[in-house]
Amino acid sequence: MKFNHMPMTVAGLRVKRVIREKWGFIQWLAIPIIIVFLMSLIAGTGSGKLTGRLLITDHDDSTISQFLTGSFSQGPLAEMFTVKQVTEAEGTEIMDAGDASAWITINQGFGDAFLNNETTQLTLVKNPAQTILPQMVETSMKLLVDAASYMQIIFEKELAVLQPMLANQKFNDTELVILTLGIKQQIERLEETMFPPQLTLIKQLVESPDEEKQNITFGLLMFPGAIFMALIFSANSLAVSIWDDASNGVIPRLSSTPAALGAYINGQVLAAGLIFALISIVLGCIGGWYFALPMGQLPVLLLWLVFSGLVIYMLFVTISLLMPSSKVANITVNATTFPLLMVGGSFFPMESMPPWLAAVGQFLPNGFLLKGLKDWLVRQEPMADAMLIPLILGAVMLLLLWILNRYLIKQLIQKV
Amino acid sequence: MIKIQALSKSYGQMMAADDINFNVEAGEIFGLLGPNGAGKSTTINCISGLLKPSLGEVSINQHSVLSEPIHAKASLGLVPQDLALYEDLSGMENLNFWGQAYGLSGDHLKQRIETVLDQVGLTTRAKDLVNTYSGGMKRRLNFACAILHEPKALLLDEPTVGVDPQSREHLLSAVEQLKSQGTAVLYTTHYMEEAERLCDRIAIIDHGKIIATGTVNDLRSEMGEKDLITLTGDFSQADQSVIEGFELIEWKDHTVRFMAEDAAGKLSDILSRFEPGQIKQTAVQQANLESLFIKLTGRELRD
Repeated sequence: MKFNHMPMTVAGLRVKRVIREKWGFIQWLAIPIIIVFLMSLIAGTGSGKLTGRLLITDHDDSTISQFLTGSFSQGPLAEMFTVKQVTEAEGTEIMDAGDASAWITINQGFGDAFLNNETTQLTLVKNPAQTILPQMVETSMKLLVDAASYMQIIFEKELAVLQPMLANQKFNDTELVILTLGIKQQIERLEETMFPPQLTLIKQLVESPDEEKQNITFGLLMFPGAIFMALIFSANSLAVSIWDDASNGVIPRLSSTPAALGAYINGQVLAAGLIFALISIVLGCIGGWYFALPMGQLPVLLLWLVFSGLVIYMLFVTISLLMPSSKVANITVNATTFPLLMVGGSFFPMESMPPWLAAVGQFLPNGFLLKGLKDWLVRQEPMADAMLIPLILGAVMLLLLWILNRYLIKQLIQKV
Repeated sequence: MIKIQALSKSYGQMMAADDINFNVEAGEIFGLLGPNGAGKSTTINCISGLLKPSLGEVSINQHSVLSEPIHAKASLGLVPQDLALYEDLSGMENLNFWGQAYGLSGDHLKQRIETVLDQVGLTTRAKDLVNTYSGGMKRRLNFACAILHEPKALLLDEPTVGVDPQSREHLLSAVEQLKSQGTAVLYTTHYMEEAERLCDRIAIIDHGKIIATGTVNDLRSEMGEKDLITLTGDFSQADQSVIEGFELIEWKDHTVRFMAEDAAGKLSDILSRFEPGQIKQTAVQQANLESLFIKLTGRELRD
């Protein structure tokens, strides 16, 4: 009689049953994907950048008003806002529908009033359903108004020369040159008093950070946690299923056969490893494609995830088999699962947690393994830095496997 | 083939099995009869290695279950009282799994699976999932899993509970076939007719102790020619002296049991000794294992 193949037989049977009962497996994969998708949407697309829609109605249509509207289409503001020129009617309709962050109306005569140093008015309508983007528009407007006031004071003479040119739309080359030189001299004179050099500039080439390091999105931060979520859900289910095998008489009957019960437990662990590998390959490939991860990272990612899954699985199996009944085991494993998910960085990235909670999360087995993975995958830190604790966890896992084989699986028969 | 010596199993103060002794020889069917909680399953579990005896020795095919468990278990097949199957796998997949658990593999395993499927009449349903089987078919598959490896000793723990007549006949025939092939069978049941049909010898067990052992004829002869009379009614006010001259088995407020020779002939005399309306029902049972069991234990097998 040979029983060396028994763990493989048990593992094959478990994998077959999991795949045959396909909805459970699909659920393990789908729930994390849906959660990451929704969380990314809540955080404002997967790019991690806020974008809003800014409406502008320009009744003045002057050079000055165009300068104002153009300021929202340049520099950092252009990355935050999509500017749309609208009529009064269009603006009212879009704002009523809540489809824009803010609406600026520039009254007719705005440019002339500015050049003549006269009081004028801009109208800003904010979307009350949004908070950050309308506030940014308002702050930007205040800064522009302040800047315009200083310009009126500093460049009073130059603006006086410019005004008739703009009014008549007749530009004399000589006058323009004189005007330009006047503005330049004024700026140079102000520079000496307003911006005296405080520092000496030394030019030095600095290595630019990698593209990936600069492009850490919310979705990418969620991605490793989502795979951990799938691993935790499946580990939970697989751990509790041992009680089902005991309740339906398979484990007690197995103990009356020459095959050792250890073969059953080892087979279950092997099956769990295979299922975690399958989950990691599917989710790893989806995430790798979506976040454009280098293919070279996938094998290490796979190994790390299977190892992490096994650590969590062994923890759940041990807790489950220590319980006096199937019902208590179910409750206890579930009660362990959700704090692990919440605090361990699967539902919410640790980066978005309060520091004290993130510190707690990093001491959970899944939290630590997730942090190590993220440091390597997202922040490109060396894997070797995070290897000590996995080695310790690996040793604990082997100890748990021995305890399961030696005691817990035998005690389980007496409990059913 | 199966040897039980001074087997005891206690849980604290409670003795679930108390000094059990018997042997089952090759080609013999040995019945273990007793009501629920009598100690049958405890005895079976100690033999199969599920429970460790507190005292005593169990050996299968001359191998001690305690000191040589792998060899002992290799000669043993167990048909547990509750089904022990993967319902989300097919009959064939279940047999394949249990066959490997008994150390079979390759062509030999395939050939054995075909044989046992034929033996229990499940060949045409072998590839169907077990959860599509009837209760009787599941019982037959449960049985088939235990005989895949052609065990020298087979333990059957109430294998026909809740089984339809067709499946029961399949199972009983298969057990008889195994007996003819030289398998030692230990059979527990509630059904007297099964025990009388199958068993060469029977042990009656109650409160963890064996209270009678012998062939069916031996045990019947213990009853002699006496029949068992059971009266049902209100006997709370009656005096036990009314059945003087008969062998009293049990006297309760609502049930009186006693033994009598030629009970049918004496029935009118017996009934006249009670007050009118005191007896609501009268039952006369000819000498059989059931009446013997009641005589020995004072209660019915299905209590």
